[in-house]
Amino acid sequence: MEEQGGSEDNEPVDLSIHPSGIVPTIHNIVSTAFLGCKLDLKQIVLQARNAEYNPKRFAAVIMRITEPKTTALIFASGNMVCTGAKSEEQSKLAARKYARIIQKLGFAVKFQRFEIRNIVASCDVKFPIRLEGLAYSHGAFSSYEPEIFPGLIYRMKMEQKEPQESEVPKKKKNVVLLIFVSGKIVITGAKVREDTYKAFENMYPVLTEFRKVQQQ
Amino acid sequence: MPVCSNCRGKTFIRDDVTENLSCSTCGKLQEYDNYVHQYGGVSGPTGTFVSVGTTGSGNVYSYKETKVYEALKFIESMSLRLGLSTAEADAVKAMAREVTVGEYGQGNWFNIFVGACAYVAMRRDNKPLPIAEVVSVIGGTDVYELGRMIMRVVNFLDLKKPEFPEFDIVNLFERMLRNFCSFEGIEGDKRERMRKQGIFLLNCAKKWFLTTGRRPLPMVAAVLALVAELNGVGVRIEDLAKEIHAVVHTCKLRYRELLEALVKVAQALPWGKDVTVKNVIKNAPFVIQYMERKSMSEPSGKKDLVGGICLDLGNVREYLRNDSGYASDFCFEDDFDTEMDNLKLSHESRYFEVEDGGCKLGVEDMDSLKLSHECLSMIYSKFSDEVDNVKSSKGFEEVRGTKKRQGFALHACAEWWNGQSEMSKRLLLKEILEKDVGLDAIPPSFVNGCVAVKRRKEKINAAKQRIDRIMCPSNARSGDSSDICISEEVHTRKKRKRGRGIDWEDLIIETLLLHKVKEEEIEKGWYNVLLELYVFNSGVV
Repeated sequence: MEEQGGSEDNEPVDLSIHPSGIVPTIHNIVSTAFLGCKLDLKQIVLQARNAEYNPKRFAAVIMRITEPKTTALIFASGNMVCTGAKSEEQSKLAARKYARIIQKLGFAVKFQRFEIRNIVASCDVKFPIRLEGLAYSHGAFSSYEPEIFPGLIYRMKMEQKEPQESEVPKKKKNVVLLIFVSGKIVITGAKVREDTYKAFENMYPVLTEFRKVQQQ
Repeated sequence: MPVCSNCRGKTFIRDDVTENLSCSTCGKLQEYDNYVHQYGGVSGPTGTFVSVGTTGSGNVYSYKETKVYEALKFIESMSLRLGLSTAEADAVKAMAREVTVGEYGQGNWFNIFVGACAYVAMRRDNKPLPIAEVVSVIGGTDVYELGRMIMRVVNFLDLKKPEFPEFDIVNLFERMLRNFCSFEGIEGDKRERMRKQGIFLLNCAKKWFLTTGRRPLPMVAAVLALVAELNGVGVRIEDLAKEIHAVVHTCKLRYRELLEALVKVAQALPWGKDVTVKNVIKNAPFVIQYMERKSMSEPSGKKDLVGGICLDLGNVREYLRNDSGYASDFCFEDDFDTEMDNLKLSHESRYFEVEDGGCKLGVEDMDSLKLSHECLSMIYSKFSDEVDNVKSSKGFEEVRGTKKRQGFALHACAEWWNGQSEMSKRLLLKEILEKDVGLDAIPPSFVNGCVAVKRRKEKINAAKQRIDRIMCPSNARSGDSSDICISEEVHTRKKRKRGRGIDWEDLIIETLLLHKVKEEEIEKGWYNVLLELYVFNSGVV
């Protein structure tokens, strides 16, 4: 793991990765995995004490563990969604723990196709931002409707490598930044940590352009 | 497939005359699907009409046409309820047709869709129709649901900034001023003055970040309330909030923020230190006059005493130089002292403290201070009137709350309001930002963030000291506990019940510090993340 949250082990910020000097803190990681077998959700909920299942409300078992503090949605098809982890390692560890729990309940579980689906991070640029100006000059990418949502929604299209002939072209990566007047930024939609950092670093010069200069 | 009841044949022919169905093999008249002859004349038995052809084309009662008819009828009724003109209603219909490719629709979603089309069509033409108003008319939905639909419509039509302008807060203000029942009896000049003052204040609010990232309606209500109060129009902010479909509490909050901003502007005035949120309304004419003059001055102009402009109030240096203080120069009535006492009690004013402290106007260069006789006499007469009112009514009540101010009238607006400033007109944001109105505020949310960081810093320092005290008892000072708890200063907003005790936050900070988390990380306040990453992270290798 390169970094956690800010900078693990109190190392100084790597300015080659974070030229702005600000490291977004990851708040949530959503991952999925396939358990390799059909599951009897009723059996699971009857045997596991950390699970809840209300088929009228939601067609999945909701299971929680405390370390890492995460929640999983386990579907009858064998698919599992794990949310709440603060790092990729934690997310994978949590998913493995859920798989082990299901395995111990008597199902032929194989932990397969683990994948990070979404990373949510946030940071503070420590200066106010003139959202109206940003929305005006970056109208193609941004949506600022204070009647609906107080922040500016910036949809950033991330650069992607040209696919090889043999490769199936992937969907375009789209990272969304929620920018607030207070200087707080939320970055979501990335599947890898680097994309989150890259999106923020791409955005930072634009934000400084629309920063409110504090006058004494 | 039907078969003949006689020969089990499967081919039938229909009689040309009677239209009855008969078997083509045996000729037996079939018992089903035949016309029943009317018998008994007009008064004979009647059957029940069973509609079976509603899905076919060419039928006037076909499903699609019925749906379209009902949809158009609904759009018309909705337009009527939203107060749209015929042309505007037609625009909504055209938009609905375009988005649904002529299918329109029915069901609960269609109401929301029509509301979204009405909003988008109006905003495209730069006409004021807030989302909250649409929600209140269509019912059964909320701002967020309608907002989602609006965004879908906007994305579908690919509306971008020039042809889809941002919501015009000034338009809404003007519409409210025109249509609100409490403003109906206002004469033309006064209404125009209120309009200009309102636009001026709205432009200032934009400049001061009071509208950025906030819903526009409460700010419009707050400005309307302030302008009404300045012009002696009796209106309650609750009524305005109800009319404008805004939350009363938010309107009051914006009103207070506006007053706080005016207080900050007032600091540039000679008596600015005395101006507080409670008495800024009384000083508002001077403050707004100052802002107006300032906005009319050249940004790079010569700076003089009160932040770059002269109040244009003549020369009263003699008053201020006078050792006896300017208060004594006024020819007041005999009960002046009594009034002064009253004023001091109610306002803790420093206007009249000149006797014992000389001039406490906070002005260093007295020679350059320019205040006119009229201005000073105006100040006194205003306060004098106010004191009279206080005496007569045993205290004045607030307009902005549930109570109404009685008998307190600001002097004629014409005396202080010029109305010539560019800020009284509809301006682009860029133009607004170029103007100087005597204050360059930062967003309240940013200020709150800074306060929170400062509070956390103090907590971190206190926690470090507590840790030091335990780890190195010899260094600890005995009996001095004041430095290990955060100062009272940081509790200005929220007073804790337990006063200076240690709370959960202090304990978390201690834990994080003991796990060698960087202070800058802790200052951000995302404790859960830090606890997960640094404290409860034993499972991760």
